[in-house]
Amino acid sequence: MTISETPKGRVTIVSVIGTLDASTTKELLKSPAIIDPAQTVVIDLEKLDFLDSSGLGALIGTLRKKREAGAETLISCMNDRIRRVFEITNAHRIFHVFDDTAAAVDHATHRISRI
Amino acid sequence: MNRIITLTLPGELVFARFASETAAKAALMLINNCNADAGNWKFTHAFELAVSEAFTNTVAYAQQLSSPQPVSIDFIFESRRLTVTIRDTNAPFSTETPAPEIDSYPERGYGLLLIRAVMDTVTCVRENGANIISMSKQL
Repeated sequence: MTISETPKGRVTIVSVIGTLDASTTKELLKSPAIIDPAQTVVIDLEKLDFLDSSGLGALIGTLRKKREAGAETLISCMNDRIRRVFEITNAHRIFHVFDDTAAAVDHATHRISRI
Repeated sequence: MNRIITLTLPGELVFARFASETAAKAALMLINNCNADAGNWKFTHAFELAVSEAFTNTVAYAQQLSSPQPVSIDFIFESRRLTVTIRDTNAPFSTETPAPEIDSYPERGYGLLLIRAVMDTVTCVRENGANIISMSKQL
């Protein structure tokens, strides 16, 4: 799995590439923008090939910690395989999910500017 | 006639992806043998996901032991059905866990929910000192 971070103003895009499962979640959780609870992130899943419940748990944990700190975790560009996992578990109900990363960044930036 | 392929892996987390990718390839093999739609991604993804969940769960329990035992995976091919049976001799694991309530943001407990959602039939038994989970789906 590969993770890259791209700052966009007060939002950081975290792109996750490859597989997010029990053997790779530690890598995601070491990412600086994920570690910082106050940093709003858009997690771009366009190039994520596989997600299981361990990976989903890491995303939910990130969401919870950031919400407690007043920040947001947005999800963008899920493919059908990833969306299936979100829908079975109802995780799509607790995340802001966008088809487009730029739209997610705009949404997050707008929310931050209102605070 | 049924065909069975058996794979034995060390009970270590690092082999979870190997197991799940092998399951996806087994599902694709059945699709190809049946001349079914190769774009049937839900069938291959179901096995990839279910085996990842079951193997990870097995290994998570095995890590409580000083010497985790190997995990055996049977791929049973029928005419248009694939069954995957995962067997280990580690500590018994619970299959009675209630589905997590997403609104309280639980980070764990989704594995069996996912397996049951993507498979046609799932059975979990403890037999002769072994945990056996069997997952089956019709093409």
